[in-house]
This record gives sequence, structure tokens and C-alpha cells, in this order.
Amino acid sequence: MAKIQIKRRPKVIPQASQSDIAFLLLLFFMVTTVFVQEKVFWVDRSRWPYAESIQKIPRNHTTTIYIKADETVLIDDIPYYVEDIENMRIAGTVQRKFNEDPNLIVCFRTDRETKYGVLSDVMRQLQDIGALKVTFETQRKTD
Amino acid sequence: MKISRRRKRVADIPNASTSDIAFLLIIFFMSTTKFDVKEGISLVLPPAAQEGSQVVKLSDKDMTRILITNTGEIMWNDANLGVFNSSVIESKVKQALAANPKMIFSLKTDREAKYNDMISVLDRLKSAGAEKISLSTN
Repeated sequence: MAKIQIKRRPKVIPQASQSDIAFLLLLFFMVTTVFVQEKVFWVDRSRWPYAESIQKIPRNHTTTIYIKADETVLIDDIPYYVEDIENMRIAGTVQRKFNEDPNLIVCFRTDRETKYGVLSDVMRQLQDIGALKVTFETQRKTD
Repeated sequence: MKISRRRKRVADIPNASTSDIAFLLIIFFMSTTKFDVKEGISLVLPPAAQEGSQVVKLSDKDMTRILITNTGEIMWNDANLGVFNSSVIESKVKQALAANPKMIFSLKTDREAKYNDMISVLDRLKSAGAEKISLSTN
């Protein structure tokens, strides 16, 4: 009896879709990447205070106010000084943002060595313009 | 003699390296991407006092006064608790809430006090379950 020969196909992993997957990942990273624009100075994360009872804040509807230990305030890469707080210049800047987005959450990125008085003055101005939702950004405490 | 016809070459753009380029770009974005997650303690400030707005007087049993001095010492209803101690503050807050679940905590921070001290106390208040917190300064 004749022997039946079975043709064995070589095992090949299809690679045609490899570039599709790669481009899909590429698109994800391109869409999610946000290049930070502030360049003059900022308060580095390592300078923030620690806390435990913290919650995540949605990125949309937020604006960030940096307050350095030397009492300089930074909004949208523009520095403000103590006299600007007194002249309501900070309130004016936040007011413009608040008019565009009434659900605005003001996030404070403040140096832990900053005197509370500066923060209090800024918050009072926020109260005057009606921007009442604030968040104090902190580092997560890990014991 | 038969002359053999030249085979026509098919125009073809080599695309074998497409995935290499794509992966190179992915590696670039993966190494440069930094997810900027916003985390912190959220508060809703009370609206600014206006003329004609009602003034509500609170009795001492409904309100706990916490004062942070410029030296970082914490006064709890006029009793000095010394510098910030996480467990002491948290147990005090829990006691106060057990006595009165609607307790209002008035956190007054000296203008010269450090922001870090205020956040530490606020954090303890929040983690102990305090919901009615007022911030003020002198």
C-alpha cells in the first residue's frame, strides 16, 4: 500500500498586523501626551506637603496656581507678586478663566514652606469672584 | 535565435521597516510621557459675605476652634497641643465627632504659619471624617 504523505506547512506567525498595533500604540501616546507649558518656574512636586486623605481631580475644568516660598504666585507662566494680590490682578486673571468655565476648579501647587497669609489672600479673592472650588495639591504619604 | 524578453520590474515601496519606525516613535513617546495626575485635598469655599447676609451664631458645643500659631503649635479650643502630632489630632477630631456628628471645625491659621502645618491638620480632619470645615486667618 502506498504511503500517504502529508504536506507539512511551515509554522509562521503572521506579522502583517504588527505595524498596525505599533501605530495604534503610537496614536495612544500621541493623543494622551500633554506637554507642560510653564517654563519660568514652578513648584516642584517634591516641595508639596504630604497628605493621606487625598482624591484624584479630573484634569478638565482645572487651572493651576503655583505659590513659591518667596511669595511669588504663578498663573499661566506669568509671575505675580504681593502688590499684584493687593491690586486684584490675580482675581482678574482667574475671573477671565471662571467666565469661560463656571465649573472651574482652582488647584494650588504651593511650596510647603510658604506662609499661609499669601494663600489666604489669594483664596479671599477667589471667594470675591465666586470661584469657590479649590484643591490643595499634595504628595501621597506612604509610610 | 530567440531573444528572451526582459522581465518587467514591479514598482514596490519596501515597507518592512514601517513597524521599526513606529516602535521607535512609541519608545520616544513612552519615555517622554509623564502622566500629570492631579491629586489633593478638595474644598468648597463659602461665598464671600455680602451686605445683608445673615449672621449665624454658633455655640461652643457645635464648633471646635483649632488655631495654628506662627511657631507651628496647635491650640485646640484654647488648649495647647504642642507641635503637630498626627495621632493626637485625629483622635481629638474623632472624639469631637462622636460627641456631635454635626460638629463644625474652624481652622484658623496664623498668616506667618507654614502652609505645610495647615495642610497636615486639614488632612487629619478630612481623614477622621470631618465634613464641616472652615478656614480662616488672623
